[in-house]
Amino acid sequence: MAPDTNRHVDQEELESYSMGRIPEEECVRLEEHLLVCDSCRKRLAETDLFIASMRLACARLRAGARPKKTPRHGRSSV
Amino acid sequence: MRQSGAGAAVRATCNVLAPQAGRPIPITGELTSWWEMSDILHFASGAQTSDEEPAVPAGETPAPSWSDLVERVRVGEPAALEELYLIFSKGIRFYLCRQLGPQDLDDKVHDIFLIITQAIQSGDLREPDRLMGYVRTVVRRQVAAHIDHAVHTRRHQTSLETGIVVRDRDADPERKAILHENMTVAMRILDSIPKRDREVLIRFYLKEQSPAEICREMELSETQFRLIKSRAKARFGELGRARLSHRIGYLQKLPHK
Repeated sequence: MAPDTNRHVDQEELESYSMGRIPEEECVRLEEHLLVCDSCRKRLAETDLFIASMRLACARLRAGARPKKTPRHGRSSV
Repeated sequence: MRQSGAGAAVRATCNVLAPQAGRPIPITGELTSWWEMSDILHFASGAQTSDEEPAVPAGETPAPSWSDLVERVRVGEPAALEELYLIFSKGIRFYLCRQLGPQDLDDKVHDIFLIITQAIQSGDLREPDRLMGYVRTVVRRQVAAHIDHAVHTRRHQTSLETGIVVRDRDADPERKAILHENMTVAMRILDSIPKRDREVLIRFYLKEQSPAEICREMELSETQFRLIKSRAKARFGELGRARLSHRIGYLQKLPHK
């Protein structure tokens, strides 16, 4: 049976896909949908960036690095 | 003859779409790299700022009649070739760029369209309704072939000890700089949240533990787990936008030459 490729991809699916944790069957549907859906591609690009940055940051923090202090003017503080 | 005809038809279509380049380019904007596009999209398009999960677009993407499109491509209708290109070019480009990086992207997209149209015109596409599946298969095969070729080239060059280094994506200074900048933002977030939340994120993103495992070991509900992730992501978007507006402000203050 052909996968339902019309349905948009939810955030959890995008995250699983970005991290390579998605089952093959679901991967088929998702990748076919991404071929034709601009908005889901944008959301995947955002998710990719977030995950790559978070992985690096987690590794750095565990290695004992500390975030650099940045001047408050013109920037938001956490 | 038929194959070269298909190739000519695709080139003709591409020339209509990109007359100056003479080869396929995306209709709207040039995607140079996944990380660059991510950066632009994330910080310029207003990512979510609440604790809610990012919105999934409402409704569905309506699928055109694939069998009708395939039939029109098969008989060589120029408008159908153009339609095929318009529907799939951005998605193919995105997939290739994400997997292989931005090198020779136009040529790779062009090659894929040649393969697809030649297959359609020679009657090799047996299930026209599964056109999307076929396109995906072709793209994946091409990616696998490029990776095989790169691995082979790298091995060959290493064995010859020519001193030539095959380009490594991770060594791209631009990519490194952007990732480093975003990593700094992520570190500030991790440093600012409760220890328990940080542990959840480290377990999930770095140790790659499953959500079920994390929830069980840390006594969290699935909702709490998702909330921790979505808050971190929302904060990442906020800080990214703040950084972007700071840069824009700085650039606007620069004297014009």
